[in-house]
Amino acid sequence: MRNLIIASGLLTLMAATAQAADIPTEAQQCVTCHGDKGQGTAQGPMIGGMSEQYLDAQIENFIAGRRNNTLMTLMAQSLVDLPARKIALSYFAAQGSPLKGQLRGDKIALSGAEKLYYQGDLKRGLPACYSCHGPAAVGGGSFPRLAGQQADYLAEQLIAWRKLERSGDHDNTMGHIAAKLKEDEIKSLATYLSAIQ
Amino acid sequence: MMIKKALLALTLLGGTGVAMADTYFADMQEEIPPQPKATNLGYFAPRDLSEIPKGAFGDKIRKGYELFVNTQQLNGRSVGNQLNCTNCHLDAGAKAYAAPMWAAYLAYPAFRKKNNHVNTFAERVQGCFNFSMNGKAPAIDSPELVAISAYSYWLLMGGLLDMFGMQKTAVPELSDTALQQGGNIDDFKLPGPLSDKVKLDKRGQMPGRAFAKLDKTDQAPSPERGAKIYAEHCALCHAEDGQGIKMADVTVLPPLWGAQSYNWGAGMHRVNTAATFIYENMPLGKAVQLKPQEAWDVAAYINSRERPQDPRFEGDVAATAKQYHADDDGFYGKEVEGEILGTKAFPATTVK
Repeated sequence: MRNLIIASGLLTLMAATAQAADIPTEAQQCVTCHGDKGQGTAQGPMIGGMSEQYLDAQIENFIAGRRNNTLMTLMAQSLVDLPARKIALSYFAAQGSPLKGQLRGDKIALSGAEKLYYQGDLKRGLPACYSCHGPAAVGGGSFPRLAGQQADYLAEQLIAWRKLERSGDHDNTMGHIAAKLKEDEIKSLATYLSAIQ
Repeated sequence: MMIKKALLALTLLGGTGVAMADTYFADMQEEIPPQPKATNLGYFAPRDLSEIPKGAFGDKIRKGYELFVNTQQLNGRSVGNQLNCTNCHLDAGAKAYAAPMWAAYLAYPAFRKKNNHVNTFAERVQGCFNFSMNGKAPAIDSPELVAISAYSYWLLMGGLLDMFGMQKTAVPELSDTALQQGGNIDDFKLPGPLSDKVKLDKRGQMPGRAFAKLDKTDQAPSPERGAKIYAEHCALCHAEDGQGIKMADVTVLPPLWGAQSYNWGAGMHRVNTAATFIYENMPLGKAVQLKPQEAWDVAAYINSRERPQDPRFEGDVAATAKQYHADDDGFYGKEVEGEILGTKAFPATTVK
């Protein structure tokens, strides 16, 4: 019995070691806050499944002061070894579960956040979020994956865009869009997007 | 049913014969003069999609919307590239000065002096499939064309009814044949104060139609300057190589040139059309980002890359250029960066 416990303990340990070994050394420093697969923790948002291009641009934004977060700014400033940075980012970019992509037009009678996401609001010049963030908010290229992101983080970011505390988007397009969103829309978008699996 | 068949036969008779087909196609993407931007546009807005009525008629409208925002469901059948209608007709065909369908619907049928042929609305949509979508248009009486016609009609009529305080009035149902015609016929009844007042020759001038006028600038449009503008403002969404961005294997941001974009016969291949579209609408969600000169230049850059061949091409770029592009503000048949554009075009109409 005792042997069995030891054996199972060993197995667990081996599994944990194997898992840690899958994470490239260059990415280890990100894990504490962003999770071993970039899934996010109480200390930091989800980064898994985001494109390398987007993640890299964010590190540059933190370095340049276009985004503000004391800890992340310090971390970003340390990520100056570009080949090492690339290894870390490509690891996290490869994470994230595949999504069942809801296409534009699949559903018509939508309301609330889902309607904003798939149809936008013509009267306020708000394009469908889908136009850039894609089916099921999967993201790609310079656009972040929003699906499954922490709701609090999403709301915080939309507010940061509105307050001009976050920038670095191209031609201030996202800032321009966020400025038109109402308080309750931000809330419901954050809830809706974080629930997309 | 007999009447419907007779009408169909008449339509077909009008378009048969090889010569007729040639001139018919020649004009499908005829340029619509851009209009000075109206200042009082605010009031026209189509109805919310949730107000599409239940039942068979509503189903056609819904289908039209679905096709409009996800035209790729026809890829390989009627669509030969990676575009969707809503890539140019922004906000699902509802946005003023992004070629809104409500204004287009009212403008057809339209007589085209070049070919002595009256194009119905559905025939005009066929032109989009053949050129902008680099595909092969569904038949006039196909469910697809009826659906797109129904959706466009509904955008127009719902918006007009609302404009005159008739929010509770249902959009009147039309037969498939009537839907295909468009709103520029005597039988088409406009609601409220507009009834009997808008003459047929004014129906093509709804404020917001097509694209807004963008004045020519001092310098001729330059692909070379445009390349820099493209890299700075456009490449992040449409990619350095102009091929757009796919997400989860779905093209989300549209390709602007190359095999998967609009062909050399599409209206958007004209530099003036693209310049006004870009100036007025890009970047999506912000708009009017570029200076007019920059919009002209970047339009020249985008439209001086190779794209699918003009489907009317018969083996000689110079001849096609002369026959169909003589009055074009475009680069087909012209030399840019040491190449005559059109000579290395991608295949036209890749669908069977």
